[in-house]
Formats: sequence, C-alpha cells, structure tokens
Amino acid sequence: MSELAPLRVARPRDVEAAVALRRAENQSRYIAGGTDLIVNMRRGIRRPKLLIDLTGVEELGDVSVTQRGVRIGAAVTLAQLAAEPDVSTRYRAAAEAAEAIAGPGHRSVATVGGNLCLDTRCIYYNQSEWWRRANHYCLKHAGTVCHVAPQGKRCHAAYSGDLAPALMVLGAEIEIAGPDGHRRIPLADLYADNGRAHLKLMPGELLLCVHLPAAAPPSTYAKVRLRGAIDFPLAGVAVSLAMADGTVAALRVGLTGTNPRPFLLAETESFVGRPLDADALARLDKLVQKQVQPMRTTLASANYRRLAAAALARRLAARLAGI
Amino acid sequence: MSDSTIQVEAGRPRVPLIDGIEKVTGTAQYTADLDHADALVGRIFRSPVSHGEIVRLDVSKARALDGVLAVVTGEDCPHTYGVLPVAMNEYPLARDKVRYRGEPVAAVAAEDAETAQRALDLIEFEVRELPAYYTAEAARAGDAVLIHDDKPGNFERRVHHVFGDVAQGLAAADLVRETTIDCAEVNHGQIEPHAALAQFDPFTGRLTMRSVSQVTYYLHLMLARCLEMEESRIRIIKPFVGGGFGARVEVLNFEIVTALLARAVQGKVMMELTREETFLTHRARPQTTVRIKLGMTKDGRMTACEAEVVQRGGAYAGYGIVTILYAGALVHGLYDIPAIQYDGYRVYANLPPCGAMRGHGSVDMRHTFEVLVDRMARELKLDPFAVRRKNLLKAPTCTANGLTINSYGLAECLDRVERASGWRERIGRLPPGKGLGMACSHYVSGAAKPIHWTGEPHATVNVKVDFDGGVTALTGAADIGQGSSTIVAIAVADTLGVPLERVRVIAADSAITPKDNGAYSSRITYMVGNAAIDAAKNLKERLVAAAARKLEALPEDVACEGDMFRVGHGEQSALTFDEVVREALVNEGTITVKGTFTCPPDMQGGKHKGGAVGSTMGFSYAAQVIEVSVDEDTGMISVDKIWVALDCGRAINPLAVEGQIEGSVWMGLGQAMSEETRYLDGLPAHASMLEYRIATSAESPPIETHIVESIDPNGPFGAKEASEGALASAPPALVNAIANALGIDLDELPVTPDRVVEAMVERRRRDRLEDLRKAAS
Repeated sequence: MSELAPLRVARPRDVEAAVALRRAENQSRYIAGGTDLIVNMRRGIRRPKLLIDLTGVEELGDVSVTQRGVRIGAAVTLAQLAAEPDVSTRYRAAAEAAEAIAGPGHRSVATVGGNLCLDTRCIYYNQSEWWRRANHYCLKHAGTVCHVAPQGKRCHAAYSGDLAPALMVLGAEIEIAGPDGHRRIPLADLYADNGRAHLKLMPGELLLCVHLPAAAPPSTYAKVRLRGAIDFPLAGVAVSLAMADGTVAALRVGLTGTNPRPFLLAETESFVGRPLDADALARLDKLVQKQVQPMRTTLASANYRRLAAAALARRLAARLAGI
Repeated sequence: MSDSTIQVEAGRPRVPLIDGIEKVTGTAQYTADLDHADALVGRIFRSPVSHGEIVRLDVSKARALDGVLAVVTGEDCPHTYGVLPVAMNEYPLARDKVRYRGEPVAAVAAEDAETAQRALDLIEFEVRELPAYYTAEAARAGDAVLIHDDKPGNFERRVHHVFGDVAQGLAAADLVRETTIDCAEVNHGQIEPHAALAQFDPFTGRLTMRSVSQVTYYLHLMLARCLEMEESRIRIIKPFVGGGFGARVEVLNFEIVTALLARAVQGKVMMELTREETFLTHRARPQTTVRIKLGMTKDGRMTACEAEVVQRGGAYAGYGIVTILYAGALVHGLYDIPAIQYDGYRVYANLPPCGAMRGHGSVDMRHTFEVLVDRMARELKLDPFAVRRKNLLKAPTCTANGLTINSYGLAECLDRVERASGWRERIGRLPPGKGLGMACSHYVSGAAKPIHWTGEPHATVNVKVDFDGGVTALTGAADIGQGSSTIVAIAVADTLGVPLERVRVIAADSAITPKDNGAYSSRITYMVGNAAIDAAKNLKERLVAAAARKLEALPEDVACEGDMFRVGHGEQSALTFDEVVREALVNEGTITVKGTFTCPPDMQGGKHKGGAVGSTMGFSYAAQVIEVSVDEDTGMISVDKIWVALDCGRAINPLAVEGQIEGSVWMGLGQAMSEETRYLDGLPAHASMLEYRIATSAESPPIETHIVESIDPNGPFGAKEASEGALASAPPALVNAIANALGIDLDELPVTPDRVVEAMVERRRRDRLEDLRKAAS
C-alpha cells in the first residue's frame, strides 16, 4: 500500500450537488465508507482527482419503513442495516449478509451502496502497482491479457459483494439519480456479466437507495470463506422460499463470489408446485453447479467454489423448508 | 502502585510485561513512530523478473530528478552479507544477476515519498532473462540452469545422517508405513512491517541505526562489513519491535540499504517497507515436502525411522543450512527411537529467500511424523496416547545424534491433556463430523553453539546500582514482544530480594548494553536469564558485604529480602536497600557488576558434520489435544477446543508462559488451517493481510493451557523455553482430529476447506469403487 496521490475532497449536502460535482470533474469518484475504493487507490488502480464524500447527504443515510415496503439509503452503513429490527425480522437474508461482511471495523463505515457497487476482484488485479506492472497488467486494468484465461477476451474478475444476492432474492429494486433525473430498476439489472465493467451505471449516476417490497418470503444467506471474518466470499448464496400446502410457491436463489456479477439462479420456477424433497434438493445442487462459473480468480480452487455454492444452496433451501 | 516482591522459587507470581502499559496505551515508539521529520524518504527499486543477468541499470534520470539526494545500486556495495559465515551469498542490492521477483536492485533517498516514487519510475533496468524455477523439483532437475554458479544441482545443502541400524529396525517391526506430506510455505505475519531509520554523521563519520531487528549484534557486524566501516563507529539501537517470530532473526537487505543511503546523503534516511515488501523480505518457513517411513511393533514400540525432507529455500542461503539440519536433528529427542536415518535437501529456487520461523526447521517434519504415528496407531488398533507412552525417553540421557536431555516432562504432559480433554471417555464416541486428535512436540532452549563463534560467553548481563538506589540491568537481548526484558527484571529482582519496581531494564543499544547474540532459538530466558542471575548474585555479594560492614556482622549472617538487609530479627539490625547502597558506594562510587552464562562444550551437540544444530541445554516438551467439527459439504473446519500442556521447566512467570503457549498453539493452528504463501510465476499472490490468512478472533478456539514443571538442572530457576515447543504439535493434532471426525487422510498443509472437500470427494469415490468390487465378488 502506498501513499495516496494528492486529491481534493468535496462534501455535498444533497444529491443534486453531488451529481453536479461528479459531472463537472471527469476524474472524480463518489465515496462513502471507502473500504473498497481507498484500498484500490493506494494500490494505484484508481487515481481520482476529486472524491465526492456522500456521508453528508442526509437522504442517503436512513432506513424508512412504509406500507409499500422498506427504503434503505445507499449510505446506510452495514452495521446499521444489520441492526435494523425491521430488516433483521422481515428480510433476514439482508441482515445476515450485512452482518457477515468483512469485520466490525469495516461494517461501521462501509455502506449498502458501496457494497452493491463493489468492484470485481481477482488475484491478478488486487495487487500493487509494482506487482501488476511486473505482470504486464491485465485485461481489467491497463493490460490486454486476462491471466485467468489468457486465450479469451473476457475479464473474469468475480463480483463478491454479499448484499446483492440477498437483496435480489427479496425482490429489491434500486433508485438511481443521474444528470437526467431518477430511474428505478430491479437490482439484478444493475449488473453486467463482464468483470471489467460489471455496473450498468451511466457516467455521473449515483445509486440512491434500495426498495424492498412489503411482503417478502422467508430468506437466508450464507457464504464460504477461509476465515470467519474479513474474507470476501469464495461463494455466497441467498435463498428465499415460499411454501404453500407442502409444495414450493416461490423459490429464488441468489449467488455471489462465483461470476463477474451477482445473479439469480435461472429455472427455479421448475420447483414450483412440487415438494422440496431430497430429489428436488439434488436437482437444485446440479442447477447451481451448472450456472455458476468460478474461474481461477482466487487462491482457492474454482471447483471448490462450484461445489460449495451448490452445497450452500441445498442446505439453505432445506433449512427454509424446515427439513 | 503496590510493590510486588518476586519469589520465583517459592511462589508463582503472575507479572504483566514490564513494557505492557506503554504498548496498550499507544505510547510505545516503534521504528516508524520515531521522529523522522528531518529524515529523507528511502525507497527500493525491485526486480520485476524472477531470474536473469543484469544487462543495463541506468539510474541517471532518477539521480537528476529534483528532490532526489541519492541513488545507490549494487555498485555501492561489493560485499555479500548473510547470517551464516559459511553461506553469505547475497548482496544488499543485486549485482550482475537477479534471482527473484522483488529482489532489491537500487534505492533512492528523496525529500518526500512522491519524489522517491517518481525517481523509482525513472530507473531503467534491462535483464537477459534466464529460466526460473518455482519448485524444488524443477530446480533439482538435471538440466536446470544454476541459480548460483558454485551450487551444482541448485542444492544449498544436502544432509545424510544415519544413527543406528535402520534396516534391522525396520525388519524387526510388525508394521512399516510410509507417508509423504506437502507443507506450504508460511510466513511470520508479524504485525509491524519492516522499517529502519539510519543516521550518518558527516563530522564524526558515525552511523546510528534504529531497526526492527531481533539480532542487533549481527546487524552491527553486517553494517560494518557492507559499508566497510569500523565497528566502533556504528551504534545499533532497537526501538520497540512489533513481533519477530524469526522474521528479523537475520540481517535484512533493507537495513543495509538504508544505511548505504544515509551514508550517501551524509544524513538521515527513513525506510518504511509496505506490507507487500515486508512479505517479499520474509525469511519464513519454506515449502517443505516430508517423507517418513516408520517401523512399529504391534504393541506400539517404534523400531526405526527414515526421514527425507526437501525444502524449497528461495534464492539465497540465509539460514537454510541450519533449517535443513534442524529438521533432521529434531527427529531425535522427543521419543526413544533406536535407529534414525535422515536425508535433507535444501534447494534454491527463484523466490524470495526463506529463513527461520518459530519452531525453526522442526515443524513440518514433526507434523508428518505425528500424523504417521496416528495412522499407524489406528491400523494397529492402539490408542495414540499409549503409543507415545511406549516410546518415552528417560532423562538424563543423550540421543543417538548427541543431544543432551537433562529434563523430560513429556509423560506428565500426556497425562494432563488426556485427562483434561476427557480423551478416554470421549474418543470414538463423538457424534458425526466431530473428532479428537492429539500430538506431541519439543524444542530447544537456545542453540548451545552460537553461529558466530568468538569464544565469549553465550550471554553477558551488566547490572548497575548508583546513588539513587535504582538497579539497572543492561542487556543486549532484544525484546521483540516475547517479554525477554521482563524475564531479566524478574531474574535480577528475585535474586537480589528487591521489588520488581526497583529494577529497570535497558535493552539492545550497542553503545550502552553488553553484546547479545539476539532473540532466536528461544535462548534468552535460558542464557540471558542465567547471566542476569549471575550478575545479580555478584551485586548482592557487594551489597551484603556493605550491609555487614555497617551492621558490624558477618556477611553470611546478613539476609536480604523484601528490600531490606537484616541480621536476625531486631529493628536495630536492619537496613533499607537505599542505606546499604549508600554504604556500598563509599570509596567505590557507582557499582557495575557483570554476570555471564556459558554452555559447557559437552552439551554442544554431536561430533558429526552439522552436529551442533539442535543441541541445547534443555528441551521443552508439549502434548496437545484438539477437538474439531468439520462440515462435510463445505469443508469448513471449526476448532472447538484445544488442551495443551507444556513442560517449560520452572514457569518463572506463569502469566507470560500461558501467553507464549497460547500464541504458539495459535500460530501452529494458522499454519494448519489457512496460512500459506503462493506465488504466481514468482509474484507473491499472498502479500497482504487479506490474502495471507492469519486466523482472526472468530476462528480462535478456547485454549486450555497446562504448565508442567520438570525443573531443569541448569535452567534459570529451573526454567526452559516456553514459546516454541507447543507449536509443532498443533498442525498434526488438528489433522489427526479431522481424520478422527471424517476418516480422511490429508497429505497437505494447510487443510483449507477446498482440500477437505477434495479429500471427501476422493473418499466417496473410493468407497463407491469398494462397494462395486464387493458387489462383483
């Protein structure tokens, strides 16, 4: 980690001012907790001239509950989210995911928006300038070759935010402010399957908040990692499950840590109307194994991440079904 | 503050470290905290390639940059350095060749960090690349290019030691089994990154060096050698050091480079390495492949052992020869084994050089041995405790390879952890996914033969008393967090019979304190502790004589305790410590006495080549039981509890002993569960505290420590070492516990979840084949 290059910091009081600042300086970045961005800056990956500190923007900083659901500001800290009674009771996966991110120190400053917009990670990318230069850089940043899959032309850096899959299985939508006003989209639509550019945000756009529907099925989240704290997920799985008369009414499985984006498992509707028995769980295991695409972006083997993601999905679904 | 009189012989005082308050309140000054407002910033240019001949190194643009005061290269230092006089093959800045990615090539001193970095970016470096080898196997291959021209086969050292008749021993066994285990390279992971502050005074030609060293004496020698300076012009001061574990137990390139820069600018230079650079400058436990073949009778008696150890040592020698010798020497000394053959291969590779790390040389060998014993016990349907008990040594004794064992508390260690863990009642009766495992280990209390043989005592301590009544112990021993200064204080206070608060310890400043060989091989408590006792006895003699004079009594009638000197019990015949000191100073002035300690030559190991390594005056012994829960699907292991017993002779300060035992077990557990260094084409993929996975508090299990006091005949107050002995039994106890839980044999360290899952997949496949075979027949 080296010194930060000289830069300016602005602390706007409202969203409009923040967006205007971002627009006026091309080499600027939004910052809240900084637990992801500052590390990359110290490694020379990002070199913004202006940081726009969002922690002074009031409307980003709270959780509000209405009849239509819950609105979570993007600058709400992970610690705040995990401790929010409405979240931990009604949207359990979100609280569990928030509580399992990094360590207590990180969670006290890291934010919901920051975690959703977490940069993708790769063992060839999250290294110092000296390291990356000695390795001739990589496709994700300043280079032309992906060292994970040198034959291909894709960046395989993995997304490893914990909150996204949890919020996705809860049916989250997000609100985005930009130079041309606000837009609201399903959370899943924020992400592209490209490790190099995994966020579908237009220049200057700012993630404002997350909306969760008033009614959400029971949900849960778990991940595998080497240590019980600090580490990013090697594979993270969120499941929400609604049962009716002993059969599945709705099943959603969200995955992180394995692909360049978090995603909802496809074809889960095939479980609807059937019991979640051993056969179904085995089928779910296979489905996860088929759809995750871990690559050699971590020191743990890709095959392990595939098997572990499937095992977690099976286990969490069984737990929600009360098996 | 209440005074606390220490009575080591009589009681069990629990003394917090004497420098603990400064550390926990944040007032302790580590090297990077020292005032360096007027210092230039030092930065190192490192090789981007693994192996090659230097074709061109042009630093002219860097030198011409505004704000750059000096640039030094290999041209500025034609001298090699290294910890072993027989194996100094490393330059502080590369000359002619580079041998690993990250090797220092040039360094700059600039007015600020930004300028220093810009200067590095202006350095032009061209290399004709040579084939690079990242495994011992590749480096040993017949057609491999030599990393060092004078080292054929890329071997740093080959060892072949045979004691006893191994063939006969194996023939006499009922069961002979062999296993090979691959142990990853691991790192000390000390919290404080490397740093050094060097100041060269142009008027006096003197150099003052402050660094994170564990071995200030060696640093002194190497700076004199590399800078061609008289030793008398150099002063080494050790500030607070944030952990060592062997990371700083040899002189490191950045220390010499900082001094070169300071001399070049005729001023002051601060060098603070990043965490990545600290990992590159690591000198840690090498990747090691251990193959052990063991013979056992059906009642568990060991008959013979064949051990082969291959260590991937990295690009330079460092401590390598000692490491590969330790691995063989310490096959001996734990159990009674009639015949042992050892073959060791220390191999060069194009990676950062390895060195000494807590449990130096012994850990991976011990791991493999203890795992194999467990597997054989299972096959013979013997209890693993019973097997150990069948093979105990009897002290005093001398091992086949000439190691002296004067005290041996392993039997009691076994009893204690067996009972505490409820082993007999619980083993074999645990629910699925849960397991218990045990293992034993040992370690030296200081190498009996110093690396730099000078004929001097092994340790020297000075104790000064002056008009103020303060007792000042002066020691060169480096306190690096292990608490060595506290031990010196206790040894002096207890011997004198004064409260601990009266004793002040000044450590590791070459201008003030007597030379000490340093903080390594767990030598300080044993050697410096004995020297401190000796010094305090000498002072006490002087004080008692003064008291006797004043009290008009015979010295042998004067008792000194509780800060008072008395003859009998009368008030009239008592003097305070201050009164006695004043009397003692009459006609004398300030009193400084000296104490020393020397290991007798007959305890300095066997006569064979390399026989001094492993020799010590006292071995510590440990046994531990680990209880685990394993998740079969995700491979996640959680350690539920550890019971550990350590025979450390006398526990001079049980509080510190417990801390050291917990720390060593925890460090062993880290190596067992998650820590490993990995290189991608020679680039460190692990060089951050995120990727190098030291256990967090979330994984740290309750550790129940038991202190076994065998009372060593030669140790200070009967003490032996307490900080390394329990480490090496942690990894095998864990792997044995996993075997007990799941029935899988893991042949790699660390046992990360992916390796556990792979082993489970393999076991299921084997079971399926077995079922098919049964069905077919």
